[in-house]
Amino acid sequence: MTLQEQIRANRLRSTIVVFGFVLLLLVLAGLIGFAFDISLGVVALVGAAAYGIFALVRSRSMTARLTGAREVAPEAVRPLRRLVENVSIAAGLPVTPEVRIVDDAAPNAYAAGLRPEKSYVGVTTGLLATMPQRELEAVLAHEVSHIRNRDTYLMTMALVFAGVIALIADIGFRSIAYGGRSRRGGVLVLVLAIAGFLLAPYAALLLRMSLSRRREFLADAGAAEILNDPEAMALALRRLEQDPTTIKYADASTAHLWVESPTDRLDSERSGVLALSRLFNTHPPIESRIEALEEAGGFRLPEQLPADEAFGLQHGLG
Amino acid sequence: MLWLWILIGVVAVVVLFAVVGYNRLVRLRNEVDTGWANIDVQLQRRTDLIPNLVETVRAYAAHERGVFEEVTRARTALQQAGSPATAAEANEGLTAAIGRLFAVAEAYPDLKASENFLQLQEDLTDTEDKISAARRYYNATVMRFNTAVQSVPWLFVATPLGFHEREFFSAQDDTALPQVSFQTSN
Repeated sequence: MTLQEQIRANRLRSTIVVFGFVLLLLVLAGLIGFAFDISLGVVALVGAAAYGIFALVRSRSMTARLTGAREVAPEAVRPLRRLVENVSIAAGLPVTPEVRIVDDAAPNAYAAGLRPEKSYVGVTTGLLATMPQRELEAVLAHEVSHIRNRDTYLMTMALVFAGVIALIADIGFRSIAYGGRSRRGGVLVLVLAIAGFLLAPYAALLLRMSLSRRREFLADAGAAEILNDPEAMALALRRLEQDPTTIKYADASTAHLWVESPTDRLDSERSGVLALSRLFNTHPPIESRIEALEEAGGFRLPEQLPADEAFGLQHGLG
Repeated sequence: MLWLWILIGVVAVVVLFAVVGYNRLVRLRNEVDTGWANIDVQLQRRTDLIPNLVETVRAYAAHERGVFEEVTRARTALQQAGSPATAAEANEGLTAAIGRLFAVAEAYPDLKASENFLQLQEDLTDTEDKISAARRYYNATVMRFNTAVQSVPWLFVATPLGFHEREFFSAQDDTALPQVSFQTSN
């Protein structure tokens, strides 16, 4: 697939996802309407739509707040800004995304924004303090290719819809719990409604996670292509894997954004490794991402990571 | 009658094929043009920095005329370059000339410490990085376009409709063409 074909395939997939979510919403609203009252169904649908639109409009600043990213003047992070410019030029992006800083000791990065012109790349201070320039560039290229492939768009959509569905399922539950209204259709409809309200958020979550895992491989390959250096990306991933710190803001709602999944370690520490939890992983295991790069680039990662000085220390950032 | 329908069918298929092929080639060609515009912006920025650099160095080392002339010549050559390949060649020439200018500057501590000079040095390094970034993108788009133009079936559309291969932005003895190719279908 050429790049443009990938982008178009992604847009098509976004459309399908949106339709899938709309369908799920309609079914849920229908269930509410059926089980209780038509007007309640309509109210739930209108409320969900309003919430969805509001969330889409506010998504950019909301993500920034959830992840704790702060805006910085380009002059304040000039060397970093230059790297992002170079990577964006090499990726063929028409506009260089903004850079935002997340004050967090764990090395990680993410990209957000509905449109490429309005996107930004969030970088933790920990990333600047651990990555040498070559690997930092690879991580930035990974994020820039998320923007270029319209992954940020797709994932924002998926995130918002998942939220809307959780909301509407919640309305359904509350109606069952507190609803003194006439219940029509008997037990069967009620059971169906309960099952629907229970399963819908998980269906939404699964869809979201499976989407995001595929994206990671694509973005790794994109980064390797942008820099013409697949080894840099693999080295960066290995370094991320070896770092023991975890993002402070680790949270299921933003887990899919980061270059390295921030919740994996939390999950495995808390509950042991469940087979089922693999389904809900936002990211493929780092090892398989490194293998994919090794295969594509025809190299083997050395045992020892290069001991180059971190970019942030070199330039007094982070 | 049957023959007429077959004829119409064949013509329809040929026209459809030509339309699809044409659109695809136009899209790829536009990518190449965008890629070239990106390089051009950076080359322009680089040539714009040169007079300032020459003036700054001249203020401290007025008698090093040979190297000033060399840089100015290389700059003119880059401005006059007509095709990507000659531009790449001229750009290499300018890089070499600037390198000599900086080598000359080494002998003048006052110059090396001047704010203006340091700023120019940084800006030039930055444009060089950006030229090589823009070059990676441009060469990748040229690669895709040329592959389409040279390969069946688009070959049958490209030749009659006047799509020709494009030049890479690379000097002759330069092998830094895109080497990585990815299966991105997983």
